[in-house]
Amino acid sequence: MILYRGKLYPDSMQDELIERLGGDIPRILGENRLTARRVIAACGRMFEKAAAGKYDELARPILQDFGISYARYQDMVRAFSAEMLEYKCMIELGGDGEELPPLKDGTRRRLAPLGVLFHIAAGNVDGLPAYSVAEGLLAGNLNILKLPAGDGGISVRLLSDLIEEDALLADYIYVFDVPSTETETLTRLADYADGVVVWGGDAAQRAARSLSGVNSKLIPWGHKLSFAYAAAGASDGDLRTLARHICTTEQVLCSSCQGIFLDTEDMGELQAFAERFFEILREENLLVGKTDPAMRGRNTVNLLCDQIEGTHVRVYSADGVSVTVDADRELQLSLTFRNVWVKALPRREIVMALKKQKGYLQTCGLLCAEKEREELADLLVRAGVVRVTRGDLSRTAFGEAHDGTYPLREYTRVVEIER
Amino acid sequence: MSATGKLFSQKKPYDVASTEELFLRAMRENCAFHYARSEAYKGILDGAGFSPDDLKTEEDLARLPVLPTLYFKRHTLFTLPEKKLIAKVTSSGTGGKKSHVGFDLKTLWRELKMVLGICKYHRLWSAKPTRYVIFGYRPRKNSLGAAKSAFAFTLLAPAVSRVYALQTSESGIRVDMDGLKERLIKYAKGRLPVRTMGFPAYTYFLLRQMKEEGVSVKLPKGSMICLGGGWKQFYAERVEKEDFYRLAYEVLGVDESHIVEFFGAVEHPILYTDCRAHRFHVPVYARVIIRDVDTLEPVGYEQAGLVNLLTPAIASMPLLSVLTDDIGVLHKGPCPCGCDAPYLEIRGRVGVKDIVTCAQGAEELLKGEGR
Repeated sequence: MILYRGKLYPDSMQDELIERLGGDIPRILGENRLTARRVIAACGRMFEKAAAGKYDELARPILQDFGISYARYQDMVRAFSAEMLEYKCMIELGGDGEELPPLKDGTRRRLAPLGVLFHIAAGNVDGLPAYSVAEGLLAGNLNILKLPAGDGGISVRLLSDLIEEDALLADYIYVFDVPSTETETLTRLADYADGVVVWGGDAAQRAARSLSGVNSKLIPWGHKLSFAYAAAGASDGDLRTLARHICTTEQVLCSSCQGIFLDTEDMGELQAFAERFFEILREENLLVGKTDPAMRGRNTVNLLCDQIEGTHVRVYSADGVSVTVDADRELQLSLTFRNVWVKALPRREIVMALKKQKGYLQTCGLLCAEKEREELADLLVRAGVVRVTRGDLSRTAFGEAHDGTYPLREYTRVVEIER
Repeated sequence: MSATGKLFSQKKPYDVASTEELFLRAMRENCAFHYARSEAYKGILDGAGFSPDDLKTEEDLARLPVLPTLYFKRHTLFTLPEKKLIAKVTSSGTGGKKSHVGFDLKTLWRELKMVLGICKYHRLWSAKPTRYVIFGYRPRKNSLGAAKSAFAFTLLAPAVSRVYALQTSESGIRVDMDGLKERLIKYAKGRLPVRTMGFPAYTYFLLRQMKEEGVSVKLPKGSMICLGGGWKQFYAERVEKEDFYRLAYEVLGVDESHIVEFFGAVEHPILYTDCRAHRFHVPVYARVIIRDVDTLEPVGYEQAGLVNLLTPAIASMPLLSVLTDDIGVLHKGPCPCGCDAPYLEIRGRVGVKDIVTCAQGAEELLKGEGR
């Protein structure tokens, strides 16, 4: 299904509409300007309805799949309230961006949208494609969205509802269901865009790079790796929070902890730590409830294969969770679904070990004594980590950056006008 | 004659009860054979503190170290020199990685005897000239196991013609559903029986497409629909057997008794064929142990777990106890078909849970087995 200026069209009209879009874009950009205020007001009205339960039915199966509580959902929805969107603009742009303090010589400064954004969305979180468009609108852009495979209509529904709140938005939202294999069509859409926003793994990022021209900006929201760093002062409480986080996120989020580096060189110390963490992980696993048997089976098969190959120094496993002790210092993906590696990484080698994963680093759950916290956090930041948390790596806070940057800044440019 | 040779010469393919002793002896013999010739296999058994002589009772079969099919995807493990491997096959590689398996003459001879016996039991032989419709590739040298078994299948009754659904062209693989549909409609007007063979998913997609287009024909008497290879990447779209049978009758006029399904694996080349009641009885050439998804301990009958397949059939590779990626249940008889051998029900595959992720690379990991 295609959403074009507020109306739905069948996919068979794709080529015709894309052709028409080429003429509509300059006309719309020339006629009007979309302000953050308009977008915030429309989103705010939609939020009120969502808070009153309008989307409960749509959300319930998704919440269930991801094990998200209703309270957490309401909190997530609050990100779209007028109050929170204003706060987002304040944090990311220092206000609505309409007027920045002038330069010393009196030159006026303000922020302007990039113009046209082409969003290549990923299908890993329902509603994310629509969210990406909402951010683009907030920065004042005209948005073209390529739906991920198997979107199921949620994005079109949400964006249509948003247009209903303010008809002006119809000119700024275009949704096409182009398969990723139709590179010619995608290149054409990318050609219209000043910025190409791409969600997804390395393959998606590479594809987006190849189809966007040198004169459009690429804004990559790629897949990331997160981990924990534990020093001698890590308490059982810290480890318990971490274990709970591992069980509830199943290690599949960008911010999910894949493994734990311990500040030591001593393999004996590392094993003792692994044993200690394993006991805690086991307890939390049973408290949360075991994960899907098909995933446990997959991990059991993988661990058996590793065992025959002698991959790990030591493996602790029970009830479908495992802690493996490894001799290397690589930050790598775990088996996921509650299977954690532990590796020795003395603090003086942090930067060397993590630099290999530059561009992929996201969150580090830092578990250490309070007096060391600042020093270690600084070291991790120098290695490329963008977020340092405690045991719950996936905690969220309103106003926080996305993978080390502010989307609204990425979607705007600074303009200067001489008086 | 070796115990294995005797086992594969059994006249009754499902007389499991009276072959317990023989099966155990054949396993011990096969285990000793690989232990003596394969350094890698000896290393694995020594590492687990297990010796071929430890196979004394039926319970000992569960203690024999299992090798995951995943291991054969990462390593090529031949017991015999490669020049003796006259047939090489590759698994269809669900998730990207493939097993390379090779068989020697002696093994193939055993396999042939097994196929003859099983097909005779299930009355799959026919002297009537038959038209074959294959939902797969035309076999080529060193091709996939699936393509080879599909071709072998066309030897069960004399072939008048063979058409293949999957065609490799310059632009990749193409599934020619429309071509097959036209053929089936044409064949329905003739007198010669038709046998289709292929993945259940492709067969189902074609039947569904024909139904949506309002096509309904009656294939000539004696026609059969044969299914093999499981639902693979289409697992989420699998349908209940009853619905499948109903659809096949509506669209092609083939009744349930003429729909037969096969199950097997490149790493466990034993032919499992469903009975009249559509159950996969375990033939005398193999044993199935269902193992706990966490501990790998045997769970016995009627409980779901990882499927471990055992057979002494293979001389070329230590495939005597493989742990598959399947989750299944072993049921005890009796079965309405009259066969009292236990039967295997495949419930799903490990790692298949409709979940998408964003941890860097996790997507790829979940799709396959890579790191």
